[in-house]
Amino acid sequence: MKNNITLFITIIKRDWLEMIRYSFNMVSGIVTLYLLFLFIFLGYRAVGAQTANFGNNLDSIVVGFMLWNFSTFACSSLTWNLFEEARIGTLEQLYMTSLGFDKLCMFRIVGDFFLNFIFIVPVLVLMMATTGRWLHIDILSLTPLFIFTLASAYGIGFICGGLGLVFKQIQSFFQIVQFVLLGFIAAPVNKIPVLKILPLSLGTNLIKEVMVNKLSITELPIIDLILLALNGIFYFGIGFIVFKICEAIAKKRGLLGHY
Amino acid sequence: MDNIAIKVNGLTKIYTQSNKPPVVAVDKISFAIEKGKIVGLLGPNGAGKTTTIKCICGLVIPTEGHIFMEEIDINRNLRFGMSKISAVLEGNRNVYWRLTPCENLAFFAGLQGISYRSVKPYTNKLIELFKLQDKRNTQARYLSRGMQQKLAVACAFVKQTDILLLDEPTVGLDVESSYELRELIKNMAKESGKTVLISSHDMGVVESICDCVIIINKGKIVTDDSISNLFKLFSTSSYRFEVLDKLSTLQKEQIQSQFDLAKIVEKDSQTIIDTELKTHDELYNLIDILKSNGSKIESITRKEPDFEEIFLKIVKNEK
Ligand SMILES: Nc1ncnc2c1ncn2[C@@H]1O[C@H](COP(=O)(O)OP(=O)(O)OP(=O)(O)O)[C@@H](O)[C@H]1O
Ligand SMILES: [Mg+2]
Repeated sequence: MKNNITLFITIIKRDWLEMIRYSFNMVSGIVTLYLLFLFIFLGYRAVGAQTANFGNNLDSIVVGFMLWNFSTFACSSLTWNLFEEARIGTLEQLYMTSLGFDKLCMFRIVGDFFLNFIFIVPVLVLMMATTGRWLHIDILSLTPLFIFTLASAYGIGFICGGLGLVFKQIQSFFQIVQFVLLGFIAAPVNKIPVLKILPLSLGTNLIKEVMVNKLSITELPIIDLILLALNGIFYFGIGFIVFKICEAIAKKRGLLGHY
Repeated sequence: MDNIAIKVNGLTKIYTQSNKPPVVAVDKISFAIEKGKIVGLLGPNGAGKTTTIKCICGLVIPTEGHIFMEEIDINRNLRFGMSKISAVLEGNRNVYWRLTPCENLAFFAGLQGISYRSVKPYTNKLIELFKLQDKRNTQARYLSRGMQQKLAVACAFVKQTDILLLDEPTVGLDVESSYELRELIKNMAKESGKTVLISSHDMGVVESICDCVIIINKGKIVTDDSISNLFKLFSTSSYRFEVLDKLSTLQKEQIQSQFDLAKIVEKDSQTIIDTELKTHDELYNLIDILKSNGSKIESITRKEPDFEEIFLKIVKNEK
């Protein structure tokens, strides 16, 4: 147990240090995201200001944009970090931990989940300040929704990361995945309920209910909550299985140290 | 069996790639490494050294064969295996470039579940031994190649495992850094009783720190012996005589007829005779011939091969 706590702290501390060392990247990342949002916002205002639902739609865009960023980070924390570590040669060292690489991955995901807030919160605040519309932030309701929504993003991340271990050339692939994520987030689950089975889609919808329509988690349909939990577990599990298969192939072909 | 740290049994690795013929990198090799020994793993490029080491590290899954540590098959219980070993792998790619030496050491200890607080005195000692004091707070990417390599080795030590695997740790280092690093590895390993498997193309390093060597070529073991035995095995019986004056024609004829391998070279007023002498009698015979004409012997030397020659002979004979 003590070993595990030490490992957890070690992983988070490293991520934190790297984040600080790359703080320029972080700041420029926040600025880029904000500018991108500003672009969307100004464009939308120009064409949609007259429509009745303008305000609510704007809020939905803010939430969708935030979730898109969040899920991109979640996805890349596995894809990109694994790729980077294979490149600098530390991935093989990580695989040699006596506490098990799987555990290390899970710890990293948990750590990343929290570290990502440091990135997302400023962007969210900037976006809300720009639109002048402050969203309803009910932490108690949002936490479980976030966890299960992003679980599916981490699942996709596991798949990308696993494919990266084997096929290496993942940059361009990952760019495509980013847009696929956008598609999942924008999926109209209210009009076509069957889309709830997609990753991220249902979660995004429920998070909007809380942040835009100011519902509490207890007011959400219980069936949707169950579905969301199953959805998150399913995609996370599938992603992990695919990752393990890719890892086994990489170990067989001796690819862990290649990039 | 108790004193065996690693046992490799029939290890085979065949890399298969799509559209390419399979590569047999390691071909049914078996060896055992005794606890506390420093063993060199040698062989020409592509011999299978890195593959062998990575199989022991659990990073490459063998096609066949088993690796045991304390009778436990590490591919059955990888976490047990990983609690026994630490490794510095090929190339200077083992540490985090954006972290300082201290942060790297703390990280690698933490990977093994060793808390920074408990390992701090030891990290300080390592920093000092590896002469990284001035750079303890400099990011690794700003260190010199030699310092990065030292840091990588220090990070392997900080995990405090029984076994250390080093894949070409001194490659790319200048003479002095290489010397420094090999002395550190040797002293620290001996001090803490670690078992070390080290691959290297630098025969100086191997000769000075290894107790035994395993030489592989094309995936097969060609030699597994102690360094001293190899020297004995390859100790030649070739001698060089330096004589102060020229030899008479008769002397030359006698030497040539009795010692068919003899080579006589005359330089100014000096004569150099290189020959193989298999028995003491032969030595006396040669001296008698020289004495017969009163030739003054300046020196007699026995030529010892250096380790590099031994290595080359072993590898070439196996072709
Ligand atoms: N991941 C891989 N996929 C396919 N073939 C590989 C792979 N890794 C190594 N090989 C091949 O296996 C053989 C042994 O390689 P290995 O790296 O083990 O040799 P080595 O003894 O470490 O050589 P060097 O002294 O050059 O480091 C070589 O023919 C190499 O091309
Ligand atoms: Mg090699």
